[in-house]
Order: sequence, then structure tokens, then C-alpha cells
Amino acid sequence: MRIIYHLLVGYLTGHLLFFLFREKIFWARVSTSLVLVMFLLRLLLVK
Amino acid sequence: MRPSLIRQKAAVLPALVCLAGTVLAVYFSGGEFWSMHREETFFPAAGVTERRMLSSYFPALKGTAGDTEVYVFRGRENGGRLFILGGTHPNEPAGFLTAVVLAEGISVGRGTVVIIPRANASGFTHSDPQEGNPQRYPIRTAGGPRYFRLGSRLTNPVHQWPDPVIYVNPAGQKLAGAESRNLNRCYPGRAGGTLTEKVAFGIMELIRGERIDLGIDVHESAPEYPVINAIVFHESASELVATASLDLGAEGFEFRLEASPPNLRGLSHREWGDYAGIEAVLLETANASHGRLKGKPSASLVVDGKDRFYAKAAGLGRLFVPFPEEGIPLKLRVARHLAAIRALLVSLKEIKPAKEIVIAGFPDPAEVLKKDLGFFLHSPK
Repeated sequence: MRIIYHLLVGYLTGHLLFFLFREKIFWARVSTSLVLVMFLLRLLLVK
Repeated sequence: MRPSLIRQKAAVLPALVCLAGTVLAVYFSGGEFWSMHREETFFPAAGVTERRMLSSYFPALKGTAGDTEVYVFRGRENGGRLFILGGTHPNEPAGFLTAVVLAEGISVGRGTVVIIPRANASGFTHSDPQEGNPQRYPIRTAGGPRYFRLGSRLTNPVHQWPDPVIYVNPAGQKLAGAESRNLNRCYPGRAGGTLTEKVAFGIMELIRGERIDLGIDVHESAPEYPVINAIVFHESASELVATASLDLGAEGFEFRLEASPPNLRGLSHREWGDYAGIEAVLLETANASHGRLKGKPSASLVVDGKDRFYAKAAGLGRLFVPFPEEGIPLKLRVARHLAAIRALLVSLKEIKPAKEIVIAGFPDPAEVLKKDLGFFLHSPK
């Protein structure tokens, strides 16, 4: 079950990273990085 | 350098800056969250005869986040066997601290006392999302403050995931999915079940292995909840509880008596009695920091139990307990639990003299109120 969790969160985190580098609007980038914080905490099984 | 390359680098730089900010935020917030995994130290009394882990009763728990400390106090003479369970819900500090105060203070002359302070050890490693609760609260002792974690009612989802849409517990009751992580809905547990079900099964194994006579599960609930300042009991403990309530009333501690409903399954006061055949009891006090009507959550609300919104609600007759302006402090909530445990032990001796349990160093509830909780706890050093 943990592998499925990691795959799921890892996939979504990858998408956020891709969006962060592709996006041109500054505030959209900031918003993405804030959402990324939550996804990374989950990916690392901290929260 | 070509202009297109310059443009590309210019586009990557802000993204890298944002990413660096993300990493910093993960580092600092992750450190805060991770600090909840640092266990508070216990200083068991000199009278403790065995320090065990729950996994010694149910080996499948070994190395998991559900394994937890068990303190066993065996007297020289045979007598009754008492089990005290604190920390079933880590956001109910009076239940947890009652077990800690006893584990750090008592010795047993006759009979056996088994204490688990952190029943749901995983629940102590996180707090309830969107509640804004403090992570810790201090209790002042002679040697300085001791900090205890205010955890969550449920097992950490990091340790048990995902929740089912509908949870059918081991006793067959259908519940909301998140209740699969509520230890007090998972009895009698499943040996091959989820982590919470395994913890429940381990506790049942302990009860059976130690041949417990009386089990007490110590809790708290919100002042607007009807089952409050109450003793919930399995029908096998009805005589014991009725006798104890008379003593408690004489001491000035009013408790309402609630019979465990036979069709409400998965709770300790039901399944300990049904599946292990013991006299099972659950204690409740009123905790303002637990309720929906409270103001700003804080460590002082947990310890002092003072909240003007609850005082107002009490004035309007909306609560099930009196809630004075000066609040319901933690020391009073623990004193109520101690008074109830002591009264139950006196009743046990009266009804079944062979099951008498003689405990030295049992904190007097009146003294707890007078001297505060810290007096009965070990210094942090």
C-alpha cells in the first residue's frame, strides 16, 4: 500500500515540478511552490 | 550568448528561486511535524516490577508505530488484577496523564496493576488537521516544566492508509471510514488487520494474558457531549459501578452512570466485557479544548480549561456539565479520574474481598487539587 501511495504522490509532485518550470506567471509559480510544500511533506511521509 | 538562451535562463531562474523557497519551507515545517515523533520520557515509580512492550503480548506489533510501553506492578500477595488504559485518544490529556501519574507514583502490595499510558502511540505522532491545537502542553513540576504531546484522536494516516469509505469493525458495526483509525472503535481487534486493529488485538491479548479482573479506559470528551462526567460500564460491572458512585457522591464527585449499549460495538466498555469476560469501565471528564464551542486553542486552554464561550454556553443551559467562569482545569479532570479509580477499587474489595488490590502511593484527588498535577509527577531531569 505504501508503494501505491508513493507512486501516486510522486506522480502528482512530478506534475507540479513540471508546471513550476513551464509556467511564466510569477504568482502562479509561487502558488505552485506552496502546493509543492504539502506534496513533498507527504512524499517524505512527514505529514 | 544567443538571445533565446538568455530568455530560457531568465525563465528558469524564478522557478529555481521558488523551488529553493519550497525546500526551505519543507525543511522547517517538516521539522515541526517530525518533532511530534519525539516521545516524552516517563519515569516509572520504583515499585514497577516489569517494563514491557505491548508486542510482548502480541509479537506482530514489534517494530511498528503501534507498539507501546506497558508498566506492570505485581504485589507480593495475590489479589485482584487491574488494567488502566490511558492515551486511547491522544487529544484527551486527562486520560493520558492519569495513567502517567499512577505509573510514576504507585507501588502494589497486593494484586496486580497493569498500566498503558500511550494506548494509541501512533496517534501521539500527529495532531488533528485544521484544529490549530498546540503540539505540546506544559505541566510544572518541582524540577521545571514537563512537556507532553497533544496528539490526535486517530492513528496517524502515515502509519495506516487509506481509510475505507465505510468501516466494518471487528465486532461487525458499520462506521464512517475514518473510524478505522479510532482505537476505541476497533475492539476486539484483528490479528491480521490494520495497525489500529492490531493494537486493539494486542490489548485484548494483554487482558487475557494477565487475567485482568477490572479494566478501566480513561477518556475525556467535549462539554456539549451528553456522555460526560460519566462512568460507562459493561453490564458485568454494574454492581461495582453502582457501589462506587455512592462513594464518589459522598466525596463530592458527581458521575452519571451510563450502561454500555449492547448494540454499540467496537468500544472498550463493550468488547472487553464480551470478549475477555472482565468488568469493563470507561471514564469521561469535560475537556474544553476538545469541544466545538471553544475559543482560540492553546496550551493554557488544555491545562487551565478556561473558556469564556463554554462559560456562556453553560449559562444558556446548552451543556451537559456545569462550566464555571474559572474553567475545568486539567488537575480537576485528573482528580476526578483518580477518585473514580479509587472508588472502583474500594467497591471491588467490598464485593469480591479475594480480589482486593492494595496500592501504596495512590495520589489523593483532594491533594491533586490542592498541590497541582506537577507535584505528583517526576521532575524532568
